[in-house]
Amino acid sequence: MNADWTNGPDQLSEADEQRRGAARRFRDAQVPLIKLWTYYYGLGGDADELSLDAYLNEALHLPAAQVGLITTAMTELTAAEDE
Amino acid sequence: MTAEEGHSDDRDRGAAEKATLSLESLVLESPDIKAFMVELAIVAASRLSRPGNTIHSGVTVLRHRKPQAMAASDAAAMALDELQNGFGEGPCLTALRQGTTVLVPDLTAETRWGPYVRAAIAHGVSSILAVPLDLSGEADAVLNLYSGRSNGFASEGIATAETFARQAATSLRLILRISQLSEARSDLSAAMQSRTVIDMAVGAIMAQNRCDRDTAFSILTRASSTRNIKLREVAATVITSISGEQWITAHFDE
Repeated sequence: MNADWTNGPDQLSEADEQRRGAARRFRDAQVPLIKLWTYYYGLGGDADELSLDAYLNEALHLPAAQVGLITTAMTELTAAEDE
Repeated sequence: MTAEEGHSDDRDRGAAEKATLSLESLVLESPDIKAFMVELAIVAASRLSRPGNTIHSGVTVLRHRKPQAMAASDAAAMALDELQNGFGEGPCLTALRQGTTVLVPDLTAETRWGPYVRAAIAHGVSSILAVPLDLSGEADAVLNLYSGRSNGFASEGIATAETFARQAATSLRLILRISQLSEARSDLSAAMQSRTVIDMAVGAIMAQNRCDRDTAFSILTRASSTRNIKLREVAATVITSISGEQWITAHFDE
């Protein structure tokens, strides 16, 4: 899933930065991984729970579309928790 | 658990087995954890009460690092739990934090937790026994027992309370596990509904815009974040605008 989607070092470091931010938000939100994965799956996400775990531990890159859905899932979930 | 095991010099174990059985049925009969906790407090109070020494019982649970009085055998015990949580210190909170049983045989001789102890005495409490419920990391809870008599808890009473708390914790772990599973199940069922609507909308956008799936997803995501509307609701709007259908449901065996 994390094959040749990058176009050079600039985009890679940008993806790293984005991933670091997602990892931080995940830790701060204190949402169980399974809850986030289920929500992300409900949005149409394709990555399995293990890949999501690896992504949030900054051990794996995911395609931009999946990253977008993870971000959306995190935003909607934390908004729901705050209500 | 055969009939031969009900030995006469093994009365404690017989009673303990009976308690286990009734606790497990509580797990099955309680519609939720709170109801289970209330039943737990009532059973604890009635099992430990003796003629002339009525025991009041409450359960405090640590939620998001804040103690919360969750259930009690009666209003008096609930008030005492809340009082202690309000002060932020007391024997029950100490038991909760240390994970060890705390006994205060005589409140008038107690030097710790000054403001709370004085308030408890004013409520007619003379001795307190707090037994933590070990839920192996699932949560932290403590069983609080109040007596109107000093030395209201004899050593066998303490042993009974600890045995009871151990068995209650086993049942509680089970009920927490069950409620986690049923929550996961309803989350998954909601995800199936949501994913159906979103997949359908993505397909519609792909057909209308002659684009690939990733592009369709990013169109949806952008619409959702700029309007601050949930992705699922944007997707539902897309479907309604095309087909006029209001309710799309996923079909799967429950």
